[in-house]
Amino acid sequence: MKGSVRFSNVNKAFRWRGPRSPHETIKGAIFHRRTRRREPSWEQYVALDGIDLEVTTGEAVAVIGPNGSGKSTLLKLIGGILKPTSGRVEVSGRVTALIEVGAGFHPEITGRENVVINGMLLGLSRREIEERMQEIVDFADIGPFIDQPVKIYSSGMYVRLGFAVAVATDPDILLIDEVLAVGDEAFTRRCLDRLARMRQRGVTMVLVSHDLDLVTSFADRALYLDRGRIITEGPADAVAARYRSDVAEGTGRDNSTLPAREDDGETRWGNGDVEIDGVELLVGGRGSRIVAGGSPCSIRIRYSVHKPTEDFVFGVAWHRSDGMQVSGHNTDLAGLEPIRLVTDGEVYCEYESFQLAPGEYLVDVAIHARDGLAYDYWCDALKVRVTSEVEWPGVWSPPLRWRSTGPEWGKSTEPRRRIPVDNDE
Amino acid sequence: MTVIRILWRHRALIAVLVRRDLDARYRASVLGFFWSLINPLLLLAVYAVVFTYIFSPRFPGGDPYPLFLFSGLLPWLFFSGAVLDGSATLIDNGPLLAKVMCPPELFPAVTVLSHLIHHLLALPILFLAMVASSVAGLHAFPWTFPLVMVALVPWLLTTGGAVFAISVLSVHYRDMRDLVGHLLNLLFFSSPIIYSLEGLQVPVLLHRILILNPLASLVTVYRDAVFAGRVSPPQLWLTAFAVGGVSWWLGTRVFAAYRETVVEAV
Repeated sequence: MKGSVRFSNVNKAFRWRGPRSPHETIKGAIFHRRTRRREPSWEQYVALDGIDLEVTTGEAVAVIGPNGSGKSTLLKLIGGILKPTSGRVEVSGRVTALIEVGAGFHPEITGRENVVINGMLLGLSRREIEERMQEIVDFADIGPFIDQPVKIYSSGMYVRLGFAVAVATDPDILLIDEVLAVGDEAFTRRCLDRLARMRQRGVTMVLVSHDLDLVTSFADRALYLDRGRIITEGPADAVAARYRSDVAEGTGRDNSTLPAREDDGETRWGNGDVEIDGVELLVGGRGSRIVAGGSPCSIRIRYSVHKPTEDFVFGVAWHRSDGMQVSGHNTDLAGLEPIRLVTDGEVYCEYESFQLAPGEYLVDVAIHARDGLAYDYWCDALKVRVTSEVEWPGVWSPPLRWRSTGPEWGKSTEPRRRIPVDNDE
Repeated sequence: MTVIRILWRHRALIAVLVRRDLDARYRASVLGFFWSLINPLLLLAVYAVVFTYIFSPRFPGGDPYPLFLFSGLLPWLFFSGAVLDGSATLIDNGPLLAKVMCPPELFPAVTVLSHLIHHLLALPILFLAMVASSVAGLHAFPWTFPLVMVALVPWLLTTGGAVFAISVLSVHYRDMRDLVGHLLNLLFFSSPIIYSLEGLQVPVLLHRILILNPLASLVTVYRDAVFAGRVSPPQLWLTAFAVGGVSWWLGTRVFAAYRETVVEAV
């Protein structure tokens, strides 16, 4: 399967000679050996210790943990940049690493020429790069600087161009190491939007981040590493919660159970005749917490019936975290006449095109009787992040176009004010 | 051979990287690529003045001395330039190696190839100098000049092997670079570049040592073609190719031994 990763009992140890310098010298190699033969001459640092990991095609996995826990080493092993000391690493498909994007740009030559070289280093052919050049230039959005030597770039431009090349390589597996932490807000938003779109296309992603909000909205699954070992692994929000509580306590490395789910008492009520077992956002047929504005998606409600009924309504309501109602829809309003509800099953609410402005939204899901009696009413059952290349006020993001007869316009190069262009490939 | 295979598979990338090397070097300078011509010419001028007016070496087959010198100096500059740059190439490209999966073999290869191109750019100068001096009647034109392309093969192999070994060693042993400078100096003066081994008035022991210098055959084969106008004896050609082969074999072996730890060490 293209785009899958499998680690079997992978260990990675770094070693160097002597306690002070990681680099040997010839002098050191000759004299050290003689004078201190009795002492162990290698200092060893175990970065990863017995890691088993399986990432399937199209999955998004986050790796979290304190600094020095082995997260970046893990990414570099997937990327083939490092080799494991022992164990097996199997990776299928083209891997692109977003690790310090733009690393290796040569300062003396132009951005455009660097794009060619960087793209080829990332595995594209020259022709493929030429074909995608316009797309890369558009995404980087650095204007005439593209034909200037890279040495005069600001650090922001550097990252933009590096990111643009990396995402244009069309990888099967994308490795992301904190790249979203750099760049201005507008660019970060566009990056996130691009990543969300790639995810919807089925690109496997492994993400290292300290931004737990990003982790929970972006990843299906998370891996919590500490000192080279997997502390826990599971659904992203549960793992993130565990990590949060460990950080808050300052220790707590040893208890290996997941924290209990947050108390649902106040935000969920109902008589339980019909029970919601799970609510998911599906994007491109896969569970997700993030959706690119304008793409199709659906809400899946899994339920079980404890007491068969002939009076039932399924509903979904969207609102913003500040309480503003966005939209509410249910089967009754849609004209669906309930006949009977006996067996457990799933109900889908499908959106042809998800036209919300970028931001975070909360979803309430309910199963109730037509008179309002709640079987199961679950507030904030789901938190969804909507991405977009640009940001604007409000909650509605309709597909639109401006037409005019009088005024003349130029195209702004300032991304914040640019007319949104849907460049979904 | 795996090194060759890796290099062949990435030939397009190598070509682009060589171009980048040349571009980057010349873009910021006023004279641009003329530097590949000016550098050897300046060096030649210095040596020519010193050795014609200050010391005047006398040995058979050494006239006119500046031309003799130039024909020995050119391949040496290719070798020494590549080796010097080679000691830094992996370290300089460290950020790339640590972030992008690309075979480390590329960088020493790029170093060697871009120096080879400098060398090829300087060859016409040598050719014109030979033409000029034969027109002026100072020297018979060396009709064996095209053999330079064959003589370059052992040079390329030797340089390649040396650069592969030194690039990877200087990553693991950081004082390698200092050492390389001294070794090159020693090698320069022990090679028949500013003098000829023929009719050399030195103690027998020293003469033997000088003959053992692996570069001696390479220098002689090259100079026989472009300056003396004769085809070197077969055993000299064999020696030169053997030196090239051994150097390449040894260099790539050393590289392979240290290859896996390059990323960690840079």
